[in-house]
Amino acid sequence: MSLVIRMALALAILSPLAGVAVVGVRVLLGDRQPGEATTARAIATGLIASVLASLAVLWVFLGITGQAIDGDIEFGDWLRIGDFVIPAVLRVDGISVTISVFASVLTALIARFSRTYLHKEPGFVRFFVLLGLFATGTQLVALAGALELFFAGWEIIGISSAFFIGFFHERGEPVRSSIRAFATYRFSDAGLLIATVVTLEFLGSARFSAFERVGTLEPTQATVLALLFLLSAMGKSAQLPFSGWLPRAMEGPTPSSALFYGAVSIHAGLFLLLRVWPVLEVSPVARAAGVAVGLATAVYAAAVVRVHTDAKGALAHATLAQVGLILAEICLGWTALALAHLVCHALLRLGQYLKAPNMIHDTHRLGHEPHGPSQLERWAPKLADRVYAASLHRLRLDDRIDVAFSPVLGVARLLERADRWVRRTLSLDGAAS
Amino acid sequence: MRLAVEQGASADPIERALERARGVLPDQGPIGVFIHHNTLHAYQHLPFHEGVQAGAEALSARPYLSLRQFRDALASGRIDDRDVRREIALALGPRGPETILPGLTRAELWHQLMVTDADTDDAAGIEFTIRAGIARECANLTLWEACLARARRGPGLGLAERRRFRRHRDVLVALGAADPDVAVHGELIRLGSGFLDQGQAHAPLPGRHQGFLLAVTEFYSNGASAPLACRGAEADMCRVFERKEPASHVIRAILDDLGVRGDDLDAFLFATALALPGFTGMFARLERHPEEHRVEAPATLVDLVAVRLLLERPAIARACRELGVSASWPVLRTLVSPVPPRPAVLDASLLWGLASAAGLGAHEVAAMEDATLEALWAECRAFDDVRRRQLFQEAYERTYRGWVLDALAARRALPADDNEERPRAQFIFCIDEREESIRRAIEEQHPGYITFGAAGFFGVAIDYQGLYDREPAAHCPVVVTPGHEVHERPVYTDLGWHRLRQGARDRWHAWERRAASSSHTLSGGAGMSFLLGPLSAVKTFARVVAPRSSVLWGDRVLSRLAPLPNTRLSTLRPEDGARPAEGRKPVGFSLDESVDRVASVLTNLGLVRSFAPIVVVLGHGSTSLNNPHESAHDCGACGGRRGGANARLFADMANRPDVRDGVRKRGIDIPADTWFIGALHDTASDAVLYYDLETLPALHAAAFDEAWQALERARAENALERSRRFQDAPLDFDAAQALRHVEARSSHLAQPRPEYGHCTNSICIVGRRQLTRGLHLDRRAFLVSYDPAVDTNHTVLERILAAVGPVGAGISLEYYFSSVDNETFGCGTKLPHNVTGLIGVMNGHQSDLRTGLPLQMVELHEPMRLLLIVDATPEALLAVAGRQPEVAELVGNAWIQLVSVDPATGAMAVFERGRFEPYEPNPTLLPVVDRSREWHMRTREHVKPALVRSALPVSAGGQGLRPGATAPGALHA
Repeated sequence: MSLVIRMALALAILSPLAGVAVVGVRVLLGDRQPGEATTARAIATGLIASVLASLAVLWVFLGITGQAIDGDIEFGDWLRIGDFVIPAVLRVDGISVTISVFASVLTALIARFSRTYLHKEPGFVRFFVLLGLFATGTQLVALAGALELFFAGWEIIGISSAFFIGFFHERGEPVRSSIRAFATYRFSDAGLLIATVVTLEFLGSARFSAFERVGTLEPTQATVLALLFLLSAMGKSAQLPFSGWLPRAMEGPTPSSALFYGAVSIHAGLFLLLRVWPVLEVSPVARAAGVAVGLATAVYAAAVVRVHTDAKGALAHATLAQVGLILAEICLGWTALALAHLVCHALLRLGQYLKAPNMIHDTHRLGHEPHGPSQLERWAPKLADRVYAASLHRLRLDDRIDVAFSPVLGVARLLERADRWVRRTLSLDGAAS
Repeated sequence: MRLAVEQGASADPIERALERARGVLPDQGPIGVFIHHNTLHAYQHLPFHEGVQAGAEALSARPYLSLRQFRDALASGRIDDRDVRREIALALGPRGPETILPGLTRAELWHQLMVTDADTDDAAGIEFTIRAGIARECANLTLWEACLARARRGPGLGLAERRRFRRHRDVLVALGAADPDVAVHGELIRLGSGFLDQGQAHAPLPGRHQGFLLAVTEFYSNGASAPLACRGAEADMCRVFERKEPASHVIRAILDDLGVRGDDLDAFLFATALALPGFTGMFARLERHPEEHRVEAPATLVDLVAVRLLLERPAIARACRELGVSASWPVLRTLVSPVPPRPAVLDASLLWGLASAAGLGAHEVAAMEDATLEALWAECRAFDDVRRRQLFQEAYERTYRGWVLDALAARRALPADDNEERPRAQFIFCIDEREESIRRAIEEQHPGYITFGAAGFFGVAIDYQGLYDREPAAHCPVVVTPGHEVHERPVYTDLGWHRLRQGARDRWHAWERRAASSSHTLSGGAGMSFLLGPLSAVKTFARVVAPRSSVLWGDRVLSRLAPLPNTRLSTLRPEDGARPAEGRKPVGFSLDESVDRVASVLTNLGLVRSFAPIVVVLGHGSTSLNNPHESAHDCGACGGRRGGANARLFADMANRPDVRDGVRKRGIDIPADTWFIGALHDTASDAVLYYDLETLPALHAAAFDEAWQALERARAENALERSRRFQDAPLDFDAAQALRHVEARSSHLAQPRPEYGHCTNSICIVGRRQLTRGLHLDRRAFLVSYDPAVDTNHTVLERILAAVGPVGAGISLEYYFSSVDNETFGCGTKLPHNVTGLIGVMNGHQSDLRTGLPLQMVELHEPMRLLLIVDATPEALLAVAGRQPEVAELVGNAWIQLVSVDPATGAMAVFERGRFEPYEPNPTLLPVVDRSREWHMRTREHVKPALVRSALPVSAGGQGLRPGATAPGALHA
């Protein structure tokens, strides 16, 4: 049995990557791009293998035939430097199996959709390679048994997300948006990285199972740790004040928006918090902060939805509102509710995103009803106008972040100028320039 | 001086510049109803090439395909090199044979510049290929060295200044500042879409009933903050709102402040208005057509420009401050750096090409006088890139025209149809070129199946209200205003059921609407997640994995549980003398009006005798999902709507005994045993829906069965012919598989190409079907039935040309522009499109409104002007064009190519350079195939005309009646 589950776990994570490798080798060795059929078949095979493997893990976890398996599954060492060991360990429990099945099925579904949607698109191969990479990232995040592996998956999700946003890189706006999302990820991922190191320091191991010993920590230590996790989750799940990149992420093709910002990636931050719940549990400060951030984001996003005129942007904020709520639910300790809410919500939004371009058709079919004035507009029109302005401008979050980071950019510009001056004076650029 | 200008209102430079911009801005209304039009309609008063070049210049767009695309077409045989030389000779006239270099005439020089890529701007490419030893020039390296040395000595060809500096932003970007337009457009897009929103957002821009300028300035007065790059705009906004300054004052003050005066003003404002063309165009369009805007938000162009400048001024000031330059235009525009000189290697490459063509040696090149070289360069400059492409365009069209006209002449040479038997069934289709293939597929089945083409509103211009429509909508060409309303009403016995069904339907839809909008709210979203999330996942899964079956089963279950009630149209209006209420249109047609409509359509068609027992009238429409451009696939003759109601109405009228009596008095005798049936052909799924079959007399059942089976076979055959164009459908499909394939396309959420629409349009043939029947025209020809024999005074011809000319030109020119420059004239790829405000699409999360056609609709298109071939003498055509100014403009300015075919002799004449020039067809042997699928299923590319034997009349070598082939029930693949 243990062999079956080891095989299944490895397959769930590695088979999409194998598909990517097959396509990648053909891209590198062949003198022209592999065809659509080849690419889609290779990636789809990997994704379907991943679905089957994750179902097999579920099968074993539920103990349908034989002993139910639960807990850490060891795969030896990932890295060993002297005494320092990074274990390759996966974890099978209720949360990880749920997320693994859920993510693999949705990714495979989106691959089927994209096979038709991206037909004849010049970036077809790139799209599918990224999709396979993303699938590996999500499986790694879902099934990792320690923070190091989790972080690897987390970064794969982040990088594929940034590439999907900048998918149409011949235009300026997608590239600007992609860079903004990437920068936000970099900033907030520092939280996870630092948290990993801190966990190693405090607990001696970054395994999720080690968090059972979290009670031995000082309250401040636990709080710092929990806040770092929270920061990381806030960036990935676009919570305030990092919400600015989410509407910009609508630059990619429709199916990638559906998969990332409707279903899987946007919920990854929440999953992180569910995973490290023991730490949050002992830190009331971090939990209070999480509830505040979640509720504030929910209210903010719900207000923005009201004024959004475009289909995808409205959906992005509708999604964000629920993600904020789920964050609050988690921090209030209602983790089971949160997990159910997360999955149901992702399923609802996936369909809505995929049907976003159908807006005109639906309006013709269903007819249209003008929206009446809201209670706020009726009783406090001045305030309503201000709320409208703030929502339309999304609180100018991006501008505020730019202002906050302008000293950093100023230093960077200064360094660049100094670098150019040094190069000029030493003629390092050579005669060519 | 300036004061004097300001006093004359008509001479107001601001209004003048904006007026000029209005002409160029995209003229596309809200996307729910998509109507094809000439993208550069404002330039139609100019000759085609002048208009296209001026329009493209104004929009910085490409007027034609690129030289590379033309050269590829030349290499593939799509352009005949003889036609290229012919165009050069025509353009040059007596100047052609003049010598430019020893051994090189001007005509030869032009030919070299067109067909070879000697004149390139890729210096790095030349250097690389020469170093790698793979360049053309390596064939004669001594000559290359000489050319390089000579080119270095000068004089150079020189580069034309292509950059244009008309606004501060152009200079700032050239100087390396961050583009101020990014912030300005971001703000303008949000405000503009909030203002224009037709109901997508819960809350639109407050106070929008006051107009854009006041709404926006009030918005800022209420404490909104401008984006970082435009900080400082708030104060101006507040001031404008307090003083209620009119937009033109605002614009004038800002222009003054920016130092834009005198002659610069026009260029500045024009460029400013065109900087965000989609939204600006929508404002201008809604200003002219307020009826297309259902919400109270009066849009005006001048308001938009004023708001734009209010935001732009601080952004410019900020950028100038950061760069340390003055924001005053006269100072700023002098700061642009000059164009870098053109690398000598480019001149050398051109010189090498020309010297080789002239047969010059290395020492001759080396010894070339400066004056000779300069003269050569002057010739090259005079025949610039655009001129080369212009001639290529002409050659591209000429080659194709030759193929088509030769094929028509060859078809005409076959013996005429001498069959006097009564036709077995007649089918009246829309003239749409997408119906050419299904007509051919019907005709291939039996010589007794006759098809006709009439503009798809079938002569009945109506405001139609279907059973579940909220209000009537015009079903007729956009230039016509309907005088009648027609309603679909349930029959008496179904009234009760209808009420029940409608109640349930309304409740269900209200619930669906509410669910959709409440799932966006905070509490609703949570509730809906738990309630509908898993269910919706099942639905999404089914729709993605099995698109066709899931829709099919859904429909099947629905039609079992809640079948549609039987309905009739309110066709006839009793003549009780009651006038309709003020402002209301009469519902239904009077007897006389009906007789008029039926008689005139039948006369137009030339269908005045030998009626078949069954006449099927087919309107068309298109169904697709996730396609904001769905309406662009519907019937253009029905104003971007479906033509089913018109077909149904026409058939209903033509079946009435009293109408037939009236028609008989006008000399058209419809026999008592003829029955008309209205139907709708879905051009995406190839489904055919028949109307009012309950009223079909039992006597006609057998005849209808036969017609129905013919259509069943034809639609499958049509699906097959269409699917060869879709690269994801294998070429070895059989017809039934193809039908399933197109049904799946039409119901697939992920399908960006449910159909290719008018993508293959290029010809319009007005004439007797007998002269084209049996000719494979590859879905490229609008086919208009017209019989010159019954039209002695050309009134029918005039009616047809007045309708078909502008509609056909609109479609062909919209496709032309969207394919030559898909990013500027079209709306780019569909994949990132995002519906905004229910008025249009933008790219991704915020971009300009994208107008025109998406890449997926035009990717197969060959951009050419419509080739209008009319079965009428040149005299008749000139007379008709003289009476129809719009046709005269299109033809006279060559926005369409007009060809006259003499009805008696078959002599052809092409309208070129202001008169009809006789065309002598080349004798051609057309390929002959038994069935058209043998011809087109070999390739996915366009196919040339061919003869299809089974569709030809027996007298012309057709196969005639094959025993058993048409017996009812004998369906065969």
